[in-house]
Amino acid sequence: MTDKRERGSDPAIDMAATQAPPAGLSSRHLLGIEGMNPLEITALIERGNMFADIIQKDGQFNRSLSEVLRGRTVLNLFFENSTRTRVSFELAAKHLGGSVLNINVAGSSVKKGETLLDTATTLNAMHPHILVVRHNCSGAAQLLSQHVDAAVINAGDGRHEHPTQALLDALTIKRRVGRIEGLKIAICGDIANSRVARSNIHLLSTLGAEIRLVCPSTLLPAAIDAMGVEIFTDLEQGIEGVDIVMMLRLQTERMEGTETPSQREYFNLFGLDRIKLMRAAPKALIMHPGPMNRGVEIDSATADDVEKSLIRTQVEIGVAARMACLEALAKDGGAA
Amino acid sequence: MTDLLLHNARILDPGMARDDSGFVAVTDGRISKVDVGAPPAELIAAAARTHDCKGACLAPGLIDMRVQSADPGAEHLEDLSTLLRAAAAGGITSVVALPDASPVIDDASMIDSLGLRATRIGGARLFLYGAATRRLKGKAMAELGLMAEAGAVGFANGTRTIMDSLVMRRLLSYCGMLDRPFIQHCEDHHLTAGSEMNEGETSTRLGLIGAPAEAEAIIIDRDMHLVRLSGARYHAAHISTRAAVDSIRRAKAEGLPVTADTAPPYFMLNELSVSTYDTAFKLAPPLRSEDDRQAIIDALADGTIDAIASDHIPVDGDAKAQPFGPAQPGASGLDTLLAMTLSLVHREHLSLLRAMELLSLAPASILDLEGGVLQHGAAADLVLFDPEAGWVVRGADFASSSRVTPFEGLPVQGRVLASWIGGEAAFQRD
Repeated sequence: MTDKRERGSDPAIDMAATQAPPAGLSSRHLLGIEGMNPLEITALIERGNMFADIIQKDGQFNRSLSEVLRGRTVLNLFFENSTRTRVSFELAAKHLGGSVLNINVAGSSVKKGETLLDTATTLNAMHPHILVVRHNCSGAAQLLSQHVDAAVINAGDGRHEHPTQALLDALTIKRRVGRIEGLKIAICGDIANSRVARSNIHLLSTLGAEIRLVCPSTLLPAAIDAMGVEIFTDLEQGIEGVDIVMMLRLQTERMEGTETPSQREYFNLFGLDRIKLMRAAPKALIMHPGPMNRGVEIDSATADDVEKSLIRTQVEIGVAARMACLEALAKDGGAA
Repeated sequence: MTDLLLHNARILDPGMARDDSGFVAVTDGRISKVDVGAPPAELIAAAARTHDCKGACLAPGLIDMRVQSADPGAEHLEDLSTLLRAAAAGGITSVVALPDASPVIDDASMIDSLGLRATRIGGARLFLYGAATRRLKGKAMAELGLMAEAGAVGFANGTRTIMDSLVMRRLLSYCGMLDRPFIQHCEDHHLTAGSEMNEGETSTRLGLIGAPAEAEAIIIDRDMHLVRLSGARYHAAHISTRAAVDSIRRAKAEGLPVTADTAPPYFMLNELSVSTYDTAFKLAPPLRSEDDRQAIIDALADGTIDAIASDHIPVDGDAKAQPFGPAQPGASGLDTLLAMTLSLVHREHLSLLRAMELLSLAPASILDLEGGVLQHGAAADLVLFDPEAGWVVRGADFASSSRVTPFEGLPVQGRVLASWIGGEAAFQRD
């Protein structure tokens, strides 16, 4: 349930609090969208919306915000390469006055054979308040959360969830369209291997959007219709009349194998271009969590269309969405 | 002269379909008399030792036909001595170990030496499967003939299915010649490549790579064609799916020499247990759907599945303290085999005698071992248990040194009170 205690009385952000109170979460961690209730999700989006306003109005750093994470340490623990998400969290934490540490896993003890839990124990002894974790194994963030005192934010675990991406996507839509409920949204591409798809399905359907999935049958996970989505294997049919077209990245190693025969064929059948996009609603918007494969799942003209593409906005809004998440977990998170 | 007289017992003899109160007398390690009612006075007088069973169930010792020994190779997880004593504490008087050791048991001398070590240790009797292929690689045939002479009771390729159909055909043909059963782990490894759990809604929600249930039946169906060619005895190990049950049922109806076993996780649990990524539930084969679980129970009741084995695998806690994907599959099973099987009796899926048949008589007959009967002349491998006694499964309390169990915290009924191997007490509960 939403928890509106504590922060509302903080004078440093009273100005901001008049628009949207800090989000409260029923869990000490943010591990996934599945199981979150619509009030929690909406509170995070509203709060993120307010942060986005402040950043846009006042420029990069705002003094009134820098109290939120003062004296708190945010540790970015990325077992998988990421530029966009890591920098986004780092910037979000800095906006809120927190100190940020980035663990460069490539050069760390993990490469020397240390297990995930040993790493967790070691880092826990340093008493971070919030641990932002990305890992290539589904469930890794949940496992870590059971062994550390810090609040854990899942920044992507295997094929499971990427909750802050879904929150920033929803915030991006909300700011541009004004609502999520009742929108027709097509999520297109490698659904089977996408944590972004899973988090977005949970979040957008919880908030009342109508979700369609478009992908080759070889990249459709088992029994996904149980999540209340409509499934298409034809891109043009799938995006017919939709308000949002959300494209997913196709990993290079899947382009020429038994999932899709070639990059050329994939683009032909499942790549988004201007002509196929004409099937969508007249004002349809395009999203992509990045990094994009231009000419594979989307052509450049479409990706860079300033009228229709929200792709750059997503990156910008990501910082505000993550600020809302960090703030929500800062209250209880971490060893003092 | 009677060495041991077990009286006031509920005699459960699946061989004679006998469930009656009575007594068992043991002489020179073998059963010298079994009868209903109280023993005659002269028998009591002549007995060196007597044991009042106080109405508890006395049955043939359990024969666990699928156990992995960490010895040789990973003795720190569980050495042979711990394994065989833990088995006896679980009412298991014979253990049949897989060849998945390090080094792989693909040589007659290893069968010899392990067998010899086991006789020195005491505890449960040890029988061994020889590796079907050298180093379990699924290519070149191991020396099956020499291993059979050394006492291998059958041949298995561990948890690796023989994927090459020509290799499989020749193995079956050769096993037929040696009159030993072939024990297949049934999994199309191409179809399950990279898989982390059963395929379905749960795997999709968790973002874990799914193994379709069909991967099990595909192998059984292929193998049935090869069994027709060779006539060899074929045993499908730890089957877990409705599709596999259907395949076995069809093969049996056709009269093929086919048997099958399953393990307690597949009739006790389903894939939903994986929902919290708890690696104690990571098993091979993976936990399946509820529909599969129901099919396994039905197949145990109607005889399609012949036997229940523990599928005991000593697993390092560290190998489980991992994300679900890289965590090692497998779990301890010796301590829970009897109680889990009895849960099917308590839920009225099986009679007590059928449960005992699944645990002793059937594996004995599949592997041509002595056991499974309480008759004059049979080896005095016995288990005494209270089918009602309640306890809560706690891995930390296991006799086995492998403590990872998918049944942690589960309240169960059915407790081993004592076991005898060749008439000698191998376990007594305080």
